[in-house]
Amino acid sequence: MTDVAEGFTPGVGKSRSDDNRRDHVPGDSSMWFFVIGDLLIFGVYFVGYMYFRGQNHELFLQSQVRLNLDIGAINTVMLLTSSLFVALGTEAARAGNRVAALQRFWIALAFGAAFPLLKMFEWIPEICSGLTPGTNLFFMYYYVMTGMHLCHVALGLVILCFILRNLKTSKAPQISFVETGATYWHMVDVLWLVLFALLYLMR
Amino acid sequence: MTSLIRNPLTIVWALLTTVTIVSSLIALEGGAAHQINTTVTTAVLLIAAIKAQLVIRHFMEVRRAPVWLKVTTSGWLLGLFTLLLSFYFASL
Repeated sequence: MTDVAEGFTPGVGKSRSDDNRRDHVPGDSSMWFFVIGDLLIFGVYFVGYMYFRGQNHELFLQSQVRLNLDIGAINTVMLLTSSLFVALGTEAARAGNRVAALQRFWIALAFGAAFPLLKMFEWIPEICSGLTPGTNLFFMYYYVMTGMHLCHVALGLVILCFILRNLKTSKAPQISFVETGATYWHMVDVLWLVLFALLYLMR
Repeated sequence: MTSLIRNPLTIVWALLTTVTIVSSLIALEGGAAHQINTTVTTAVLLIAAIKAQLVIRHFMEVRRAPVWLKVTTSGWLLGLFTLLLSFYFASL
């Protein structure tokens, strides 16, 4: 085992067999209750959106066409790539490879940070052209749902910074903490995948 | 680097990215006109459900989690997309 690996909490990520373990809840169970609660709350928004869309398909279709599908698609890839590196970083942390874990979480943070930046390039022209939450029901849902999601992204980026700090400075980084943060970040990804289909893609 | 490319997580990511591009193209092909398109909607929603399930199973590691977590997350996905498609088709 390398000196890097020795820095990790005993009993954590000592062997490859850990990767094959079953019935393991990644991270803190309380995070999972939060995640499931959040998925349910967003689920209500998604179904509400679909219900009101059904009341006025024409309005939603005409409004939807004014969104920037390119940025929406690029942002989807940004979050997916960020999630990949979080998953790879978690794997490295579990294997006791602190250097690889740090590198991967830095890459994840960079891709994650691109999301709000691109969102600004999307929102600002839209707002400047008069598309605001008050424009119609579609744009109300659009700004509220993507706005709530953006708050989750912002919190996720802060959590990624804490994971990086934990990996960098702690003598014995806790894999449970890394897994808990990773679980939250992946949830943000899952929510965006549904939002992207509902707001940008469906007709 | 080779190990990263061959990592199952990277393969899942490649699949997710590919279907993201495919679903965007489907939307562009079928939905540039401002019309209802049930084929496009069904396709992109099912693709979104599959993508979400892939992230939950592989990135969130639910495939190795206890049954209650697998059932809860799959139940959420199934319930959500059943409701979404039901509301959509009921409104046509």
